[in-house]
Amino acid sequence: MNAQTIIEDYVDKVAAKLPRRLRNDVGLELRTLLTEQLASSAHDAAREPDSEMATELLRRFGAPDEVAARYAPRGFQLIEPEYSPLVVKLATFCIALQWAVTLPAVLSSRMTFDDWWLRWGLSAFAWAGLLVFWFGLASWIQRRSPAEPGSGVRPWTHWIFWVPFPREWRPGQPEATEWRAARGAAPLGAILTIVFIAPAWILDRLLPAGTDTSWALYDDRFQRWLLPPLIALMAVRLVLLAAAALNERRRARTETLRAGLWIGFVALLYWAVFGGRIFAQPVTDAVFKAWLLVFLLVNTLQIVVWIRRAATRVRVPDAFARPRHNGGH
Amino acid sequence: MAVTNDNPASKLETELRRGTLVLATLSQLRSAQYGYSLRQALAEQGMPIEEGTLYPLLRRLEEQGLLASDWRIEDGPPRRYYKLNSKGTRLLADLTTNWQTLVGTMNRLLK
Repeated sequence: MNAQTIIEDYVDKVAAKLPRRLRNDVGLELRTLLTEQLASSAHDAAREPDSEMATELLRRFGAPDEVAARYAPRGFQLIEPEYSPLVVKLATFCIALQWAVTLPAVLSSRMTFDDWWLRWGLSAFAWAGLLVFWFGLASWIQRRSPAEPGSGVRPWTHWIFWVPFPREWRPGQPEATEWRAARGAAPLGAILTIVFIAPAWILDRLLPAGTDTSWALYDDRFQRWLLPPLIALMAVRLVLLAAAALNERRRARTETLRAGLWIGFVALLYWAVFGGRIFAQPVTDAVFKAWLLVFLLVNTLQIVVWIRRAATRVRVPDAFARPRHNGGH
Repeated sequence: MAVTNDNPASKLETELRRGTLVLATLSQLRSAQYGYSLRQALAEQGMPIEEGTLYPLLRRLEEQGLLASDWRIEDGPPRRYYKLNSKGTRLLADLTTNWQTLVGTMNRLLK
């Protein structure tokens, strides 16, 4: 194979990897440039161009795949990197949820494992495909019509495909706002705690004599076993909250204890809702439980947010902590 | 320009030079040049650039709207000539100013 044939073969291999619109033009240019380069090398070496010289030149130039990629990078990014962790988490959650909801049918022998796998197990992976498709479209829309951060205007396609709004960072004090709200809600919490101890007894004293308040009587079992720890938790938590609202140092020290009491309180309430009656009368019990469930769902969400915030908080290692002044401020 | 991980100095020098490639290339395209002549011009002035890097770079700069190109037959085979267009000329002026500021800053830092 002579030197020119080697170059032409090489150029054909590069051109084959290029997009159609570039193929001929780049191929022609590359052939001219390589031929000229080869002639120059031969001139410098004071000999005729040969196959060895051409091979060395092309080896230095790079493998045809690499060269083609330098001219026109192939492939594309399906999902923006910032979406990828969310897609993985959502897909895992959806697959796990579908399995968790449908597997009990196998455990209770209402369905064979093979049937379950064909009907529910395998189809759960469709969530992954759906999410990749959805976020792929969102990424494509974001690339085609990006929204300017801080402009407040975004294309309608961003709304449909849930493209996150590019926000400008502004300093905020969410914790200070939360504590202002906590201080405002403290008296209400105290009143609710008192009412919670014995609603029927309080109503008897507030309403005109002879008014029937039996609908507000607690179920005996609830009153005996669950009410005392619930009241204790509410009271201790209220005291700690009041102390924390007034003193910033105490706020940091008691955070884990307050969170523990909060989680315990919510867990006990879940037990009360699903473990039996709270009020003796069925109607009162059903209405109260409906409201309590809303309260519990909001609190569960807040607990999840708190745990996430606590887990992702930057912690100062003990070795970096400033030494405390004894008997100081 | 083979770079190996066991030679960080060589890798860092390559990265340093890579940052100057575009400016060096644009600086030589005030007049029309084809790939091989441009490479020669750069090498003669102490900036050798590998063919496999330079030729695709010319295409990319053209796709970015900084260069104009056309095929010409002069003394030799048909060649594709590249030259700065108005946008490329403006960019070269901006990059030159930035480069000079950077060189001044680096000189002060390296004293």
